[in-house]
Amino acid sequence: MESSEPDPADDTSMDAFLEKFQSQPYRGGFREDQWEEEFDKIPLFMKKAPSEIDPKEFPDLACLQSIIFDDERSPEGNFRSALNDVLAARKLKPGHLKAIVRGAMCHLELKHFAEAVSWCDEGLQIDAKEKKLLEVRAKADKLKRMEERDLRKARLKEKKEQSQNEALLQAIKARNIRLVSEAVDKDEDSASNGPIEIFLDGLSSENPCGARLSLDNQGRLSWPVVFLYPEYAQSDFISAFHEDSRFIDHLMVMFSEAPSWDSEQKYHPDNLEVYFEDEDRAELYQVSPRSTLLQVLQHPRYSVKALTPAFLVCVGSSPFSKNYLQGKRVHRFTALPWSEQPWSPSLKEDLLQLPDELALETPWLVDCVRVQ
Amino acid sequence: MRGPGAGSGLSGERGLLEREAGADTEAAELLPFLVPGARADLQAAAAQHVLALTGSGSGRTLLAGQAALLRALAELAVAPAPAPSRDASRALVNLAADPGLHRQLLAADPELPTRLLSCVLDPQWPWAEEAAAVLANLTRELAPCAALMEKLMAAEPERLGLEQLVNALCMPSYNAAAPLHYLGPLLSNLSQQAEVRAFLLDPDRCVVQRLLPLTQYTDSSVRRGGVVGTLRNCCFEHRHHKWLLGPQVDILPFLLLPLAGPEEFSEEEMDRLPIDLQYLSPDKQREPDADIRKMLIEAIMLLTATAPGRQQIRDQGAYLILRELYNWEPEADVRMACEKLIQVLIGDEPEAGLENLLEVQVPEDVERQLQQLDQQEQLELAQELRGRSTSGT
Repeated sequence: MESSEPDPADDTSMDAFLEKFQSQPYRGGFREDQWEEEFDKIPLFMKKAPSEIDPKEFPDLACLQSIIFDDERSPEGNFRSALNDVLAARKLKPGHLKAIVRGAMCHLELKHFAEAVSWCDEGLQIDAKEKKLLEVRAKADKLKRMEERDLRKARLKEKKEQSQNEALLQAIKARNIRLVSEAVDKDEDSASNGPIEIFLDGLSSENPCGARLSLDNQGRLSWPVVFLYPEYAQSDFISAFHEDSRFIDHLMVMFSEAPSWDSEQKYHPDNLEVYFEDEDRAELYQVSPRSTLLQVLQHPRYSVKALTPAFLVCVGSSPFSKNYLQGKRVHRFTALPWSEQPWSPSLKEDLLQLPDELALETPWLVDCVRVQ
Repeated sequence: MRGPGAGSGLSGERGLLEREAGADTEAAELLPFLVPGARADLQAAAAQHVLALTGSGSGRTLLAGQAALLRALAELAVAPAPAPSRDASRALVNLAADPGLHRQLLAADPELPTRLLSCVLDPQWPWAEEAAAVLANLTRELAPCAALMEKLMAAEPERLGLEQLVNALCMPSYNAAAPLHYLGPLLSNLSQQAEVRAFLLDPDRCVVQRLLPLTQYTDSSVRRGGVVGTLRNCCFEHRHHKWLLGPQVDILPFLLLPLAGPEEFSEEEMDRLPIDLQYLSPDKQREPDADIRKMLIEAIMLLTATAPGRQQIRDQGAYLILRELYNWEPEADVRMACEKLIQVLIGDEPEAGLENLLEVQVPEDVERQLQQLDQQEQLELAQELRGRSTSGT
């Protein structure tokens, strides 16, 4: 085409411009009388590969051959451009069956199932028995229905998860347990006691060990819990610590045999001391092994970090423990429970047990004592 | 025109005849205003009057005797604006609703069905819905139905008439002015003819497959009911059962889906169900129309006629859906149909020779026994229905 620019305001020159188009068919597109032939030259639609690729006759195919091992080029791109060609062809001749068939196939490959079915229906109005169209339609319809099923499944799963998470949050809220997000800046003075809902996301993900907070049929929580042993830089992970079970219950099982790292073989259930750290104030609070997890979690200074309660464990009166606790402010456990109103029925049972403990042990009656 | 009886007869009878004579005259007087070429406003008034007459049984009977008037009415129904074609069509709907009048209607205008059909299939015709309703009413009787079917089949070697009809039914935007819901009942009536079923079930075409999604068409119970009725009739063709239940049509999920509710199933049960019935939303509604529910159950029942069909239906977990339906179903007769179907699915397989229940020759004494049981059931059912107040459809 010539590059002369006609003056748009000039009618006669516009006519002359248009006339040029009429006599010179647009080279880039398809010629009405030849487009089928040309279509067959498009590698995607070729019915048989030419035995020899003459780059002059099949420039596109020769070009494709040279990039045929280019993995980065997605097959989708091919189908999309083929679809564009088909749409252009249909503009020339809307009722051309072959274009409709190829268009339907493109849509099918591109996973546009509804469009594929719709194109097939259009084609079947022209030839109600076209075999390829019947085949593509059946395929596309089936895949469409599978896709719809998958969508329903995903939606239901999401809904279920959401309601489970809400139930978990409700349970945590009802117990007045404080949560700390991992994103809390260490420089901040106070733990982020933001709206409890921001932890909703965290509830869905499992921690690295694959365990999650869960609610049982009786409405009781079980937490993933970590025990840290600072003496040997070891840890134990309890995937589901039922909130009504006591620390001693777990310790008895875990330390029924001495762990491999316990080189002095001194870690026994009856001599272990459990602490939690109040990170804000860098203080330690001792936990009675006979308390339940729930009792500890409800401690006014306790905050659960990353939805995984963590506790420090060492051997009482050991040289390590004396050294470790030195210089830190330690709150020993008192015999009296800090919550005056029992939250759950099980707490009452623990109260009944306490008098025995009073007799057996020498409780530290003063709240704050610095260990020498 | 009949004159009053001379002297004899009861005064009441004379009065009746007089009234008839008067009415006849009245009807005859309307005629000049209805014929083509009459003044448009007078035409409109006359058509309205006729429509009012068709509202009563006596009015209908009266009009049926007026062949010329019927003919004029039929022409008006298909005439372009400003003719009162809408009222004329509605009058025809009422007339055609009475099977006793079909003979006179068709005698007055034998070409009526053909002309109405053209209107129905004309995407621009504004009263296509009314025309479809007339045809739906006409085709409830065998003779007009067969006659119309022949017209449809003769339209083209390729049966363009029927194909057009199915197209119009399946394409919601076929006619911008008319939703064409009554094509549903029309097709359902036509499907009483074997040739129509053969077309619908042609494995070289895609016809019945296009009807299946319409079982979920919420906007119109008329359309939905018509489609379900068509499918039910198609299920009488037991030679096509394998194809119908197979992947190319896969009719079963579409029959079960309207019967399924929001009930949750276990993972294992869910895997047995057809894809279209898996993970249904908790707000899934069942088919609200009891008659349609019954037709769906009947269609599935028909598909259990052959042993392989029964097995396939069992394998696709139909029992799970029907069990939940049975627990929910408020209508006694539908519940009974559901119970019978469940019995077929969970019962023992019939002995050799009885594999196709539709073709079984029932011995006379057994036949009698079954009839007795049926009668007993009907009695019990009638008692149960009497015990509750149900509104008729």
